[in-house]
Amino acid sequence: MIVTRVMELRKRRGLMIALIVVNIGIPTIFLVIRLLAHAFAPKSYGPAGGYDIFSNLVAGVMYVFGFIVAATLGCTAGSVDLTEGMFRHLVVTGRSRLALYLARIPAGLAIVVPLVAIGFTIVCAVCVFAAPSKISYDGANVPAGLSRAGFERWAGDNPNVVLCDLPFNGPIAANVPCGPNGPQPSAGAAPPPAALKAAAVQIAGQDYRGYAKLFLSPPDSLMVKAGLWLELEAAIGFIIGLGLASLLGQRTVAVILMLVLELVLTPIFSTARIPHLSNLQRSVVGLATAHLEPGGLPLAFGGGGGGGPGGNGGPRLLPESTTVAICVILAWLVGWSALGAWRMMTRDA
Amino acid sequence: MSTATLPDASDREAADSRWAVETHGLTKRFGENIAVNGVELLVPRGCAFGYLGPNGAGKTTLIRVLLGLTHADAGTMSLLGYPVPKHRDMALARVGAIVDEPRFHGHLTGRQNLQLLAAAREPAAKERITPSLERVGILHRADDRVSKYSMGMRQRLGVAACLLGDPQLLILDEPMNGLDPAGMHEMRDMILSLVAEGRTVVLSSHLLDEVERTCDAVAIVDRGNIIRQGPISELLSGTSLVLQVDCSEPDRGRALVAATSIGAQIEVGPLGLGITLPAGTAREVIAEVNRVLVEGGIAVYRLQPIQASLETWFLQVTSRLGGPE
Repeated sequence: MIVTRVMELRKRRGLMIALIVVNIGIPTIFLVIRLLAHAFAPKSYGPAGGYDIFSNLVAGVMYVFGFIVAATLGCTAGSVDLTEGMFRHLVVTGRSRLALYLARIPAGLAIVVPLVAIGFTIVCAVCVFAAPSKISYDGANVPAGLSRAGFERWAGDNPNVVLCDLPFNGPIAANVPCGPNGPQPSAGAAPPPAALKAAAVQIAGQDYRGYAKLFLSPPDSLMVKAGLWLELEAAIGFIIGLGLASLLGQRTVAVILMLVLELVLTPIFSTARIPHLSNLQRSVVGLATAHLEPGGLPLAFGGGGGGGPGGNGGPRLLPESTTVAICVILAWLVGWSALGAWRMMTRDA
Repeated sequence: MSTATLPDASDREAADSRWAVETHGLTKRFGENIAVNGVELLVPRGCAFGYLGPNGAGKTTLIRVLLGLTHADAGTMSLLGYPVPKHRDMALARVGAIVDEPRFHGHLTGRQNLQLLAAAREPAAKERITPSLERVGILHRADDRVSKYSMGMRQRLGVAACLLGDPQLLILDEPMNGLDPAGMHEMRDMILSLVAEGRTVVLSSHLLDEVERTCDAVAIVDRGNIIRQGPISELLSGTSLVLQVDCSEPDRGRALVAATSIGAQIEVGPLGLGITLPAGTAREVIAEVNRVLVEGGIAVYRLQPIQASLETWFLQVTSRLGGPE
């Protein structure tokens, strides 16, 4: 029965095209444009891949779009048998209504999960293979992909570049004046080369974290975690959409409610501090999934601040423990599935 | 232990039951409106059974209750001997039904729609898809999208869907809707062939002529109540018989017949004498009428007994009940 449910959804050409365009097409077109722009004008346009592009695409585009796409599919799966008159035929077969409802879950996931995976794989591939091999940072050509020791070694070999072009905070032992062509001799004696080298290594050590974040391709562990996180978000969107549409018996209102939840309520409830309503805010599923966002990605919903330790100081999520977040997600999945199944079991066909 | 033996016991009881459909005191309300009012319905196995009634009489509601599409408010029912809703799954496994207008996923082909329905039945149902499509005469359009089907083709696809479960009982709600005369003829033949195979067909229809030609027994429903049910021949035998006489002198013939003790109601019309004989009149009375006219010197050109049709009888029954009491 699951196979035929997959077929029924897959044959909805318009819906499938929309799902593919949103989930795969938009990131692909964005990356292709960047690849072409970089190929034709490398000085004006940076490489298409890299950590920065990856993290922004995953947290800023695929997270939200994946949810919307999955929710739309869930709302469709939950309502079309009713609106197109097939529910009656299915009930008359004698198969339990609960079984008819439950068969839609794996069928929908069999479509959503590969779609998200394909889109995410394309993003990963481009971000890894088109990651910058050499970065022009404020005029400094820095090789990409160096370890901390390698980066410090390179800084020691290129003290002029490091001292004059790379950012640093606080006092540097060899605080030499820096002109447009590297260190300028001051009124006094020029610092010895060893001092310049030591200062460059000190700056490189300070900058490594930012260098690694900006100049490297995304790490494998982050890609795996981000992929699972996107799949989780899509699965949540599908199952909630399925339950909601089954409860309401129609698609349009269910889709609108899902969009309102994802694009309006979740961003507001995730970062706003509403007195006396913080526990209600914590029960929003979007906040719970945002708390499960892998560290190293910018905060979903574009708020900045980061789900992990690498946050940049923007608005932060309302605090919630991982255990509570998991419980909230499970409650939403079970609750909406139960409501949808109950309505399908009691509804007049 | 008891749960393990339950299906066997139910199967035995079901096999022993002589009724394909059996309801007792079945009631369904929609607020103040009683759509099905204590219905006592007995449909024998292996026959074509017509379920007739005016619009809004509760025909489709009763079918929906029987099939578990909506719940009953009171009463008991069984399909093929299985009590419903207790053993609804076992009962419906051998039931095929069309309720209201047959609707399918328009973006799928006829075959794909049947695949969807077959997947919800036992594995053997998948093997019946092509034979079912062939039997209803749409195999050549099986791979077209249903959105391109005519109403008649959707009706046929609905019947094909019914056949997927190798049903012992088919419940068809207005199956002639949307069919052209040839299609109606084919549908009638198919229903008769299904009955000939030992299946039971319950047919709800407004087309009384079709029901009379197709069904062995009928039930008349009005305002949620079954007011008559039984074999058509028995029901019509309780109606009056009209003797149409084409003769040389109708007026004198009327006087001659009225003078006898036959007790008929006699009218003179453009076709001659119309003599309405009471229900249960013996055949000898017809010969007696002929003898009286001939012995009276009246030439009889044609003498035709006309039994009341199902339609006439239906209108008599429903109009009598529909009037003020």
